[in-house]
Amino acid sequence: MITVLANIDAIFRKELQGYFKSPLSYIIAGFFWILTALFLVLVSQQVIQYATQNDLGRQMGQGGGAPLDVPTLVLQNFLSVMGSILLFILPVLSMNLYTEERKRHTLELLATSPITNWAVAVGKLMAVLVFVITLIFPIAMLELFLLSAAKPAFPLQIFFVGHLGIILLAAAVLSLGMFISSLNDSAIVAAFLTFVLVLVLWILDFLGQTLGGAGGEVLKHLSLLKHYTSLTQGVLDSSSVVLFVSYVVLGLFLTAQSIDLIRFQQS
Amino acid sequence: MIDVEHLSKTYGSTTAINDVTFQAEPGEILGLLGPNGAGKTTTMRILSGYLPASHGTARVAGYEVHESPMAVRQRIGYLPETPPLYTDMTVENYLNFVARIKGVAAGDRPTKITSAIERCNLQEKRKVIIRKLSKGFRQRVGIAQAIVHDPPAIILDEPTVGLDPRQIIEVRNLIKNLAGQTTVILSTHILPEVSMTCDRVAIINKGRVVSSGTPDDLMLQLSGGMRYELEVEGDRSYITEQLQRVADLKELYWLAADELPEQRHRLRVSTETNADFGKQLAAALVSEHVGLYEMRKVGASLEDVFLQLTTEETAVEAASTVETDAMAEPIQTDSTQAGETE
Repeated sequence: MITVLANIDAIFRKELQGYFKSPLSYIIAGFFWILTALFLVLVSQQVIQYATQNDLGRQMGQGGGAPLDVPTLVLQNFLSVMGSILLFILPVLSMNLYTEERKRHTLELLATSPITNWAVAVGKLMAVLVFVITLIFPIAMLELFLLSAAKPAFPLQIFFVGHLGIILLAAAVLSLGMFISSLNDSAIVAAFLTFVLVLVLWILDFLGQTLGGAGGEVLKHLSLLKHYTSLTQGVLDSSSVVLFVSYVVLGLFLTAQSIDLIRFQQS
Repeated sequence: MIDVEHLSKTYGSTTAINDVTFQAEPGEILGLLGPNGAGKTTTMRILSGYLPASHGTARVAGYEVHESPMAVRQRIGYLPETPPLYTDMTVENYLNFVARIKGVAAGDRPTKITSAIERCNLQEKRKVIIRKLSKGFRQRVGIAQAIVHDPPAIILDEPTVGLDPRQIIEVRNLIKNLAGQTTVILSTHILPEVSMTCDRVAIINKGRVVSSGTPDDLMLQLSGGMRYELEVEGDRSYITEQLQRVADLKELYWLAADELPEQRHRLRVSTETNADFGKQLAAALVSEHVGLYEMRKVGASLEDVFLQLTTEETAVEAASTVETDAMAEPIQTDSTQAGETE
């Protein structure tokens, strides 16, 4: 058990060091931070504008319903935007996880070392997840700064559950993307296939509604979007957590199997 | 130390190796020699635990590779055909990573890494990013990777391929220095490499071990008999006639003689028996007025053995052509062999 943890740690550190040296990760980080910060401003502006109009309407006696909870609306809308941006970025992050190993012939080193495929896959997933958390962290601080201006004080539960949601979403997508990157040695193909798969999982909710019936219900339950949305609303639903964790485990399992298969195929 | 018994591997309907059996004693260097595609890499991949065998067993230090893969993996160092390098790491960081996944304890790592770096002569490149290293240095990093955890057995797949002559000598010396404490199995299709580095050789062709033993043994056992190289003057058919009266000739090769004057020939004769027929040979030629310019006793070369074992039409008949291109890479043939006539 200790050796397994030590092995995971070795892979984890090696991978994480790789992100700090790769120009791609800096490009991704720059792109992500500029885009999300911009959207944070835009989203809060829009919500505030909308709320102001709403308040104005009520004061002039034109109805308009209950006063709006501005901070919650800002956070929910922003998290859903950030989720969409991540959908484009995560496949790019996961595409190199195994294609690089294949190109460098280092799978042969890993496969002849006393380390299991599982340990390699877990180490890699942890490293890339830490990288994603590093991306999200400064933006989350910005959100907190913005929300701290709210009166009455904003309930932090929504904030934490929402961000747990985005990390779970990232872990699920990356895990599946890692499996796809283990299937061939072209990074572009891996990124594209991952993107398509994630898109399908994203809109399963919509597909399920169109389809209806028991099958439709199942599809709806498997949708990433549905569970992500429910987490961004601050509802810590165990079934959502279980679903995301299942995707992660499925990705890890398939990766380990696929790496075994590569050895059998090779002549 | 390494014990391979009746090992077979098939991919679908193609057989990569068939009933391969060989042993390597502790501290010995065993060379797997064979033309490209003979099954050397497959054998080594099975030994390293990378590929499962279809039949048979392979044991390293008493552990069967399929039954206890982790125990075997801890006890071997493996250099595949292409060195498995993380090119964005420095030599030191890379070796540190390998030492970690090979299960070297944290306390032992610095000394083992330093020792591997020193043995492979990489001191100057310690902090250099692998991407910036030349091919020779990368190969050495590959070997350092295989020895960093001090394994009792090391498997090197074509360790000198693609290196320049100086680097080849360095790598060979490095391998020789490993022997004694470590069992080394290396594969090659370059013959001089085997006679220079290996204690024992197993010749593999078409997935089978066709012969094994020390390089000297092989030469004796397979091309037994005496050989002489002659430079003579006269009519070819007349000379052949005279020579055939001397002894039961096994082979008679006419060698290239472009630089010689008209009617001057170079040829090689050999017999089945080990009896030295030099006296009779000289007497027969001189008494029959064949001009004799040179007569030299020659030992069989490993190349002859190799070609004899791996070429389809065995060159037993007198004056038959030997296919020197059976090997992919030009080898150092003794200058005459390449230009055989008739």
